Amino acid sequence: MTAARERLSALTRLTLIEACEAVRNGEITALALTEAALGAFKAGDPTINSSIALDGEEALQTAARLDRLRKNGRLLGPLHGVPLAHKDMYYRAGKPCTCGSKIRGTFRPAYTATAIKRLEDAGSITIGSLNMAEFAQNPTGHNAHFGNCHNPWHVDHCTGGSSSGSGAAVAARFVCGALGSDTGGSIRLPATMCGVTGIKGTQTRVSRYGAMPLCFSADNVGPLARTAHDCARLLRTIAGHDPADPTSSIEPVPDYEAELDGDVRGLRIGVPTNYFFDGADPEVQAAFDIALQVLESRGARIVRLEIPHIDAVNTYASIVSRVEGATIHAQWMRERPHDYSIHLGGRLYAGYAIPAVHYVEALSRRGPILRALGSDVFGKVDVFATPTIRMKVPTLAATDIDAGAPGAIEAFGAITANTRVINYMGLPSVSLPCGFDSKGLPIGFQIQGRPFAEARVLKIAHAFQQDTDWHTRVPELSSVKALESAAES
Amino acid sequence: MSKDIERQVEEQARVWSGIALSNAASRGFARGLAEVIHGFERARGQLAFEDEPSSFEAALQETKERTP
Repeated sequence: MTAARERLSALTRLTLIEACEAVRNGEITALALTEAALGAFKAGDPTINSSIALDGEEALQTAARLDRLRKNGRLLGPLHGVPLAHKDMYYRAGKPCTCGSKIRGTFRPAYTATAIKRLEDAGSITIGSLNMAEFAQNPTGHNAHFGNCHNPWHVDHCTGGSSSGSGAAVAARFVCGALGSDTGGSIRLPATMCGVTGIKGTQTRVSRYGAMPLCFSADNVGPLARTAHDCARLLRTIAGHDPADPTSSIEPVPDYEAELDGDVRGLRIGVPTNYFFDGADPEVQAAFDIALQVLESRGARIVRLEIPHIDAVNTYASIVSRVEGATIHAQWMRERPHDYSIHLGGRLYAGYAIPAVHYVEALSRRGPILRALGSDVFGKVDVFATPTIRMKVPTLAATDIDAGAPGAIEAFGAITANTRVINYMGLPSVSLPCGFDSKGLPIGFQIQGRPFAEARVLKIAHAFQQDTDWHTRVPELSSVKALESAAES
Repeated sequence: MSKDIERQVEEQARVWSGIALSNAASRGFARGLAEVIHGFERARGQLAFEDEPSSFEAALQETKERTP
């Protein structure tokens, strides 16, 4: 391996926290990190297809400017000089934002999303936009317009969606962090299927100004990165009230990183006895059970308990996103129905037949159900944990609705069974890797806390990652391996 | 019931929203509404309708994590 490639590979292996500290300490430059990220995409992305557009030249100019600032003793913030790329649904003034669609193929928003602005104000460099499900509406990573995103652990398999490119690019070591979005699991599904860590905050925790809407009641902006510590820094940067999004919470944002002390002694971790394990694959169940043992060995206590009204939650959750999505897309569905992929057109179509009385009922139940959860669950435990998905990572072929794969429509629903109910309840939820299946694809689990308990779920995830190395494993199709094989050949 | 639902979805989408789309996936997703309808049937009577306005945002505050 040449010295230059070795250096690139070493830089792309860094976690976000390591990269931030290395820039801060002057051990590496923002320019070197940015060149490494761009080189990583160039080497590995022809296989993975995680990006939609890269802004190489502008990113390098920004990196050089940030290096000059640092040299003069000035750091913009806790992400100074670190390159990131984001799901292509976050508006950046004057930049293309396709939302993974043909319909918005030429869309250039006039303003910048608050989450992007906060990340950039903290010193990060946006190097490009990442592949995603069309309008963030599938859980697999299929995209008929920009090509499917491929799982770096095995290219025939799903990355998970809808933040497919975010999960794949972080897993493949192209970037050390990325924004995704989560309405029914779209951060946590790619996190679990690609073997990385991702968090959605409490509903209202992060401003959605400048983020493409899917479902106003359940949309969340959040990060995917390699570790819980990385996610803590990214989430803290983007969380907090934003006057431009009046629905964002005024709840103060704690220093999540300060809580990452590894101490989970005495914490009560609930494990549901209903719903979340129905039909779970034995390999997923086994990995989850071992994850619980890891946390128990650190002093946490496992409590089995029932989640109230969960079947009703599942029903209500499934119509809220369908109805709101159908409403948002009604005009395009009238005027440009054939510019949607087959599966998205079909999914939206069914939404136009759901009676408004049921939609209103579904929304009106959220408060009472959350209160029941507050007493019946969080009166007994501090958090509850479940597998993020019940099945092993499926193949792209088996879940390709557009190609007419038998059972693919049902698979869409099955993939999101454990995640969409969490969005309905509005809880913070972090997904992290806890093993690999017999085919070598990642398995993950998710931890939920009370509203605004992001610090607690991150603390537990971080403690888990002190005793396990699942999050450090590098897929064969990563930039690291791509650079190695390029050097060998 | 499947055919009934397919027809109903087609009619509702056309009459209320002016939307016509017919492919195998749209029919499949329409049939999937049968399970949602069953879900509503099963949920009936489990939660009483509250007389007072009850917002989700208020519940987030009531049930939130409290620091000691």
